[in-house]
Amino acid sequence: MLFLYNIIIVPIIAILIGLLFLGIARKVTARIHRRYGPPVIQPYFDTLKLLTKEDNITHGVMYMLGPAIGIAGSLLTLFFIPIGKYALFSMHGDLILVLYLGVIGSLGMALGAGDSGNPNAAIGVSRGLSLMLSYEFPLVLAIVGVILKYNTTSISAIIQKQVTSGWWAIFVIPLSALVFDIALQGILGEKPFDIPIAPHEINSGPMVEYGGKYLGMLQIFASLHLFTELALFVDLFLGGGANIITFSLKMLVVFLLAIFINAIMPRFRMDQAFKFYWKWPAILGLISLIFVFI
Amino acid sequence: MVEGVVELIKGNFSDVEIVIPEHQEKRVHISVEKEKVKEIAKFLKDNGFRHLSFITCVDWIDEGKFELVYGLYSYEEKIVVLIKTKIDRDNPKQETLLPLWDQAQTYEREIHEMFGVYFDGNPGLTPFILEDWEGIPPMRKDFDSRKYSQITYDSEAK
Amino acid sequence: MLESFRGGKVARWFKGRSMWLLHFCTGCGAIELPPSMTSRYDLERFGIIPMASPRQADVLLITGYLSVKTLKRVITTYEQMLDPKYVIGFGSCTINGGMYWDSYATINKLDYYLPVDVYISGCMPAPDAIFAAFLELREKIEKGEANGYKLYKIHYERYKANQDKVFKNRGIIEGED
Repeated sequence: MLFLYNIIIVPIIAILIGLLFLGIARKVTARIHRRYGPPVIQPYFDTLKLLTKEDNITHGVMYMLGPAIGIAGSLLTLFFIPIGKYALFSMHGDLILVLYLGVIGSLGMALGAGDSGNPNAAIGVSRGLSLMLSYEFPLVLAIVGVILKYNTTSISAIIQKQVTSGWWAIFVIPLSALVFDIALQGILGEKPFDIPIAPHEINSGPMVEYGGKYLGMLQIFASLHLFTELALFVDLFLGGGANIITFSLKMLVVFLLAIFINAIMPRFRMDQAFKFYWKWPAILGLISLIFVFI
Repeated sequence: MVEGVVELIKGNFSDVEIVIPEHQEKRVHISVEKEKVKEIAKFLKDNGFRHLSFITCVDWIDEGKFELVYGLYSYEEKIVVLIKTKIDRDNPKQETLLPLWDQAQTYEREIHEMFGVYFDGNPGLTPFILEDWEGIPPMRKDFDSRKYSQITYDSEAK
Repeated sequence: MLESFRGGKVARWFKGRSMWLLHFCTGCGAIELPPSMTSRYDLERFGIIPMASPRQADVLLITGYLSVKTLKRVITTYEQMLDPKYVIGFGSCTINGGMYWDSYATINKLDYYLPVDVYISGCMPAPDAIFAAFLELREKIEKGEANGYKLYKIHYERYKANQDKVFKNRGIIEGED
């Protein structure tokens, strides 16, 4: 019973916090631009409005399933990541599992967008997959650094070791944390890596044909994705959290850093992003690995 | 400077009418027969007037003529030469300048669409700005734009 | 039950607070939108943000005169948007032709061809006027009076006859060129 309860309650909390974070992002960005900005709860309005819109188009089954696969993939990842003290599934090797599962959401969105038949969506999908190829390499280097340092592949065990030693991983292996944070910028699709959904170049890319409730589902997917990736960072480098509130505050700090960079940066071209990721974060990640071995 | 250009044209072409407008320095107006336009344009192009600024058309409805105006510009002498020629309004035809300047295409297409002047030798006189236009070309003076607008846009379909 | 919720008061309240905008920049009116969106006025504080694609947008903002050629594209865009959708006619040109009232190329009354929910008068309307229009549209949505998209379906024959009067062929609209 408690298990089922958690399966329902945790995703709802994750969606609510994720949407709130999106709202905070818009407000903070507006303040940095010297604008007043929308209300913090604006993404709730947007999502509810999108879910109540009528739909009078379809582009095929995959188009409709895409957002659902995205949400499913993100939810599955969420269940393996400890949030606060709570972890639904926890076992040996779940960090590597999370690495694999994290891709499913984006792939679902790519499949759905590819079915919509819009050339801009196709360009967006190809850019998104190339970007994924770019940031996965430094991401894996950072995670391998953590695994070697703590000699375990279980996220819960990593948190436990950080808490008992009294030092968060960000102070023990700062280079790996930095590499992960740079990769996080690409995972979250913030500038300068918002290449897949460049609204001024390719009409918001994969989402170009999505509207109404499908776009609402994509909003939910975005919030879940945001929550999952930030939670992974907090778990691996910031020692998790005692309860959901301190955990959320830690996530917010990480997210605010991403927003600050997002608000002031222009956009990379695809080849520049690829070169950047395979050069500087990769070098830093390798140096960090050497330090871990010593 | 302007005098040099006038001498140059007078020395090579006999029956052209050359006017230097008052208060407008660095500008020469030449009026020629429509058959000689291409010849004189080619001559001027070889003598420094490499830039075709524009081609435009004026509707002299009382005379029954269209006047085509070609604007040429010289980067060295910074002088504008306007070649003017009058063609028959009822059967408007003129030789294209496409072999001399590629950009003539745009102007000739526009004049063809807006005035109905036909340019011999230009293969691309397809519809340009207007879409599905029927009836007389809209820039001619006998086209009543106000009446057309009232009939077409100011009433609902029955 | 879902249907009654969709048109219900709660859903309308959300719709009024999140109006996503597709600005069809036809005439000079497009120049008034950057000041409205940037830091001086900031449209985003009412939840109004520009969208890149008609599928995502709720409000079609037509900013100025429409030539017949553009009108075809506007109608295509309008028909791609998802219900409920609203149209704002921006500037005198959409009301009675404005300064192009006797032009052979531009239409005079937008209302013959598309259902307009709110008009903004003036040539040019300042950003304040845009805000007034959006707030009025929000009120109309909350009261359930912004029914232009329903009227378009009910009176489609009349709108189509008016459109056909100015189009010689409907190639682009019907997807064949």
